Amino acid sequence: MADLSTQNPCGLAQRVATALMRAGGGTTACLQMPPAPGDASDTGQIGLDAPGFLSLPLSPAVFRKARATLGDGKLPRYELLVSADAVAAQVAQLKLSSAQALFAQATGVVVAGKLFLIEAVSSSENQGAAYLYRLLLQESAGEWSM
Amino acid sequence: MQNAKDTFYLTLRNRLATVNPARTMTMRSVTRPGILVEDAEPFMPQPQLDAFTLRWTALEADLHLPSILTQMTCEIHYTTAGTQANAGLDRGRALEKMDYELLQLLYPYSAQKMNYAQTPAAAMNTVVFWSEPEFGPAVTDHDRLSRIAKVTVCAFQEANEA
Repeated sequence: MADLSTQNPCGLAQRVATALMRAGGGTTACLQMPPAPGDASDTGQIGLDAPGFLSLPLSPAVFRKARATLGDGKLPRYELLVSADAVAAQVAQLKLSSAQALFAQATGVVVAGKLFLIEAVSSSENQGAAYLYRLLLQESAGEWSM
Repeated sequence: MQNAKDTFYLTLRNRLATVNPARTMTMRSVTRPGILVEDAEPFMPQPQLDAFTLRWTALEADLHLPSILTQMTCEIHYTTAGTQANAGLDRGRALEKMDYELLQLLYPYSAQKMNYAQTPAAAMNTVVFWSEPEFGPAVTDHDRLSRIAKVTVCAFQEANEA
């Protein structure tokens, strides 16, 4: 049976999450996004052309080491918590349908000049609206600074 | 060797656009035929559904010929979860459709070797040729069905070829 009780979303959870992350040493993470329009040439599909990824800032965000145990030869994993307000702003700016579409297009995340690969994305919701996104990241094997 | 790999991929991609124009995917803001080279695309935590992914694995070289003959193994991975209209219950049929499409893409088993590092791409002096596919078993992972087909791709290394 449907829950018919009155709920008036007022964005409180989103503002609290943003404030907590900012107060907790929030940083800026940059999503690596393909340019639009993309490279439709043959050379773009066989690794000859530089992809020209764009950097999309998300702030405030909190970056921390995940609790996963480390194994031999395995790169460390990290967690990135991102304010839903920051994500919503970029989704609106890029005219995307959802936050999932934004993360699906992203090819990685740069934090403090280092590239990380996105392994999974989840969200925490309140009254049906996301207030926090959690990205599970793995360190990229490339040692280049971004 | 890279020219042979590039030629193999672009030949299959162009054939796919003819065999099934509806099999497309959007990758890096471009909608294109549903086939990709794994090592030329960004890391993907999950396989691309309803598309063919080429992964280059083994390499052998026959040095006892006038020109070096390279034999490269290409694993063609494909995964499907069926269609939304059938709630995924047609995933077996969707995989069979991809099996047949792959057979169509691979035939004929050769193509003129091209150098795509030049603009425009230039035809080279030899051909790239490949074996019939060796299909692996269908593998079920929750509501996804996938298969790997192996093809041995051969090409002569030409003089002055990188």
